[in-house]
Amino acid sequence: MKVALCSSLVPFINGGYRNIIEWLKSLLEEHGHQVEIVYLPEVDSPELLFQQMMAFRWVDLEMADRIICFRPEAHLIPHRHKILWFIHHIRAFYDLWDSPYRGFPDDLKHRGIRDALHRVDGAGLREAKAIFANSRVVSDRLKHFNQIDSEILYPPVFEPERFHCAGFNDEVVCISRVEHHKRQHLLVEALQHTRTPVRLRLSGVSAGADYPRDLSQRISELRLTDRVSLDNRWISEEEKVAQLAHCLAAAYLPLDEDSYGYPSVEASHASKPILTTSDSGGVLELVQDGMNGYITEPSPEALADAMDRLYLDRTKTEAMGISARDRLAELNISWSHVLQRLLA
Amino acid sequence: MNLIVFTPAGVRSAIGRMAALVTRELVALGCQVTVVRTEAQHLLSTDMHDFGTTVLAWDDEASVLALVRSADACVYQIGNSFEFHEVGVRWLADFPGLVCLHDFFLGHLFYGWAQTHRVQAESVLQNWYGKEMAERFFSFSDSESFIEGTREFMPMTEWICSRAEGVITHSHWGCDRVLNSCSGPVRVVPLPYDAPGAINSPFDRRSTDGGTLKLLTIGHANPNKRIASVIQAIGLSPLLRQRIKYRLVGAIEPDAMESLSALAAHLGVNLLISGEVDDSELNRAVNESDVISCIRWPVLEAASASAIEAMLYGKVVIVTDTGFYADIPESCAIKINHSNEIAELQSSLISLLEDQSRVVSLGAAAQNWAAKTFTAKNYAEQVMEIILDVSRSAPAIKAINYFCQTLRQWSYRDNPVVMAELTHKLHIFEQNN
Amino acid sequence: MKVLIVNNMAPFVWGGAEELAAHLQKNLVIAGHEAEILRIPFQWEPAERIPSQMLMVRAFELWNVDHVIALKFPAYLIRHPKKTLWLLHQYRQAYDLYDAGQTNLPPGQEGLELKYLIRQADQESFAESRNIFTNSEVTRQRLLKYNGFDAAVLLPPVNDPELFPGGDHGDYIFAGGRVNGMKRQHLLLEGLAKADARVKLLIAGPPDRPDDAARLQAAVERLGLADRVRLDLRFLPRQVYAEYVNRSAAVAYLPYDEDSLGYVAMEAATAAKALITTADSGGILGLVKHGETGWVAQPKAKDLAVVMGAVFENSARTKSYGQNARALWESMKIKWPETVETLLR
Repeated sequence: MKVALCSSLVPFINGGYRNIIEWLKSLLEEHGHQVEIVYLPEVDSPELLFQQMMAFRWVDLEMADRIICFRPEAHLIPHRHKILWFIHHIRAFYDLWDSPYRGFPDDLKHRGIRDALHRVDGAGLREAKAIFANSRVVSDRLKHFNQIDSEILYPPVFEPERFHCAGFNDEVVCISRVEHHKRQHLLVEALQHTRTPVRLRLSGVSAGADYPRDLSQRISELRLTDRVSLDNRWISEEEKVAQLAHCLAAAYLPLDEDSYGYPSVEASHASKPILTTSDSGGVLELVQDGMNGYITEPSPEALADAMDRLYLDRTKTEAMGISARDRLAELNISWSHVLQRLLA
Repeated sequence: MNLIVFTPAGVRSAIGRMAALVTRELVALGCQVTVVRTEAQHLLSTDMHDFGTTVLAWDDEASVLALVRSADACVYQIGNSFEFHEVGVRWLADFPGLVCLHDFFLGHLFYGWAQTHRVQAESVLQNWYGKEMAERFFSFSDSESFIEGTREFMPMTEWICSRAEGVITHSHWGCDRVLNSCSGPVRVVPLPYDAPGAINSPFDRRSTDGGTLKLLTIGHANPNKRIASVIQAIGLSPLLRQRIKYRLVGAIEPDAMESLSALAAHLGVNLLISGEVDDSELNRAVNESDVISCIRWPVLEAASASAIEAMLYGKVVIVTDTGFYADIPESCAIKINHSNEIAELQSSLISLLEDQSRVVSLGAAAQNWAAKTFTAKNYAEQVMEIILDVSRSAPAIKAINYFCQTLRQWSYRDNPVVMAELTHKLHIFEQNN
Repeated sequence: MKVLIVNNMAPFVWGGAEELAAHLQKNLVIAGHEAEILRIPFQWEPAERIPSQMLMVRAFELWNVDHVIALKFPAYLIRHPKKTLWLLHQYRQAYDLYDAGQTNLPPGQEGLELKYLIRQADQESFAESRNIFTNSEVTRQRLLKYNGFDAAVLLPPVNDPELFPGGDHGDYIFAGGRVNGMKRQHLLLEGLAKADARVKLLIAGPPDRPDDAARLQAAVERLGLADRVRLDLRFLPRQVYAEYVNRSAAVAYLPYDEDSLGYVAMEAATAAKALITTADSGGILGLVKHGETGWVAQPKAKDLAVVMGAVFENSARTKSYGQNARALWESMKIKWPETVETLLR
């Protein structure tokens, strides 16, 4: 089959969706399909939005047997066999309308744009033969705002067979971008309340220098330098695999993210339990408290308590790790499932 | 909502009267409204209707500009009079907004505007009506032939509606031209009226006196009002001759008076011609009557003030089933087909006589409906609703305009195949899908 | 700098322009910039669809881009304050091909209007560009003639010159590149049939369609050339292709009226191989000077036969032609670092 993978993009900004698209392309090609990736530029400015949306309507991909659309407003591209793997809306006009992130006034003109956008999005979405959402959060939003039903199709991680379990050391690892909304600082605060010698390993890049510097300072202040390692740099895939293979557990506790995040899936493939918090958002679709990890209150004390439990009750920790792996199958987080659903 | 209303405001202006009613309601509904008076300079100091809010004169341009720039929407009351609406046209050109269309025929307004915009005017005429028609527009020698020569084929409705973001018109009459030219939402909203002269509710009406029905026709007694047909309808039925008292109130030419009286006498119809009367006498005449004949042919008006007022008075109205009158619900008026005018008039009057309770019930239904429909509150609510509709259709319209501008820069010439190709995937942008 | 290369996309087709864009990206990165390629799907059939494609490109908004390099119509209609055109293609069917009656624009008034629309849009884009370069003299002339813009020629460099050091003078003439009717490999076969028995030919490259391959095979059989011709009709791995060039006696490339020099010619010159072409081949004549860097024959079998024979008649002469070809090519100073710098001026 000739398949076009379509998405909007901002040049030189590497959103997570680019990974999924590239990985899907490799997979489809492995299965003998011809794949073309179609990236089209898009800027979310209210004044310019509708003319860009109309431009997307004129994109002609009739040459493809099927198109799969990801980021908005790619779902407006017309095609006789359009499939959506919906990642998110233009959130300022949807769930972030009543938030400081809107970026323009809540006046008649902008409400008009918002209402019109909801309508047009709905009409474009309904042209699809099948609609998949990458998380329950997104699926719920499609229902709430556009009255559209969707099937949840979780994004798998690339070459999951790389991940394995080689044992359980004393470290809780957190491998993700080091940013304020990823909340590595909560883990640092938590460590001072622990009663066991559990350790913390934080790795990942940052956009700016402030947050990692503050983290580092705090670690010194709390005299935890011997128990916390902070690697503020790009971690290679091999390093990631190794860390997860040996760790005690993986922590991933961002503030209210839409999707579960690759760190939690990677940890699950490595048969390690996941430590997260009740306000982390999408991760909670994956993690079940006491089954494949712990969900705690977002307080240092609660996190400390969970970290101690992970350290002390190794049997349980290992068992939760195995459940974590099983949970992936339960939720159909696999490339074979993705392929089967997208090509049905 | 923060609104600017461009309108004539003087007491002489019926549009001003209506705009004042509506503005007060908009304010009551929570809107912030500023009124900009649009009459020609020499009329700006005349007494105004009470709008219940700030009224600015248009010549305070700096203030008006500042207001318009910060408003959510502009509302333009537009009618045919050049001296009342020229300013509205000017501001509409620079600041598109909602147009409340009081007249479908805007020939005089356009003519006045064309005096200082000749080249543009010719282009507008050609664009909407073609070269041949356009050449005729400025060729008429007097007012009457101008009206006759333009009202059907060049009413200039499109000129204003194409500049509007949305249009409220007051009846379905002539809606085609509006729909064809306005790219935004169009609504038919009944004109607001109040009827201060109506004195009683239909339920405590005095009963008809001795089985007689009082029939009334109001207004200038011209052939358009079909008075002769009414007389004939009565004259051809012994029952009606006996029981109907037909009165004409309003200006009447001597020869019309003579011929109608002669006709009535010849047929034995009880006809009273009162001629022109003052307001209080008119009120009394309406109150005393049972049935008011509003039949017309041809129908020229967009809305009929007299029919509306008659209904607000709780009277039975007999109308011709066309134009504005077609909008009246079946339960609130007696509708006659022009093609069978006299026969249907006759049978309706007879059936009223046979069941006089219908006089009360029809009148009550009419009053009920009119009171609810022709209200300033309803109008104001619809103004707010259509402004919302405009805000929702504006983004797509703006985008289309962007593309049209680009095509124009590329010297695009209209090609239906290309146009179809451009538009057929854009149906998802329609707001009523 | 963040440089966005903007090109068309014919979905599922990958050709020379795509290769060029990819190499441009690679070399921009080598020069220290960030570079990405935007490929815009372009559907020009039926012709009535073209205005929508033009408007589509015109409406795109670019943010976070410092400089745009656009290659073709309608990609170059994209808006950006710093836009450089490296014109590989205008929409020829609104220009020289329209005049030659070889267009997909409809006949009559309709076609004229579409032609006019395209030209107006082109004028606007050219006027708002910072610099315009073309990839061949032919393209440059066309731009000057039809649109009145005087651009500079910027020839695309060979992508991997280190693969073409040249080498021993082999016993075959190499004909590389895509195989189709316009590239006229079949003419070489007809020439070979009339040429000296010594002459051997190697035709290697991807056929556009199975028909194109079949035609050549049939010709070999019909003309009884199986012992003097080798056909390797597929997409060649780069190393294989390079070897074919490096070991050849001379390289033949004779397309019908092509715009650009042609990579085959450029790579052959890099490897110091004498060039064979025809008088109506177009852009390649910039590199093939008859009697200096190779031979320019009439596009007829018997003329080609003579030329092909000449290759083996005097191998010293052939080698010197090859050296001259290389010298001429190098004198044009067409290298990637300079090309990138020029494009970003």
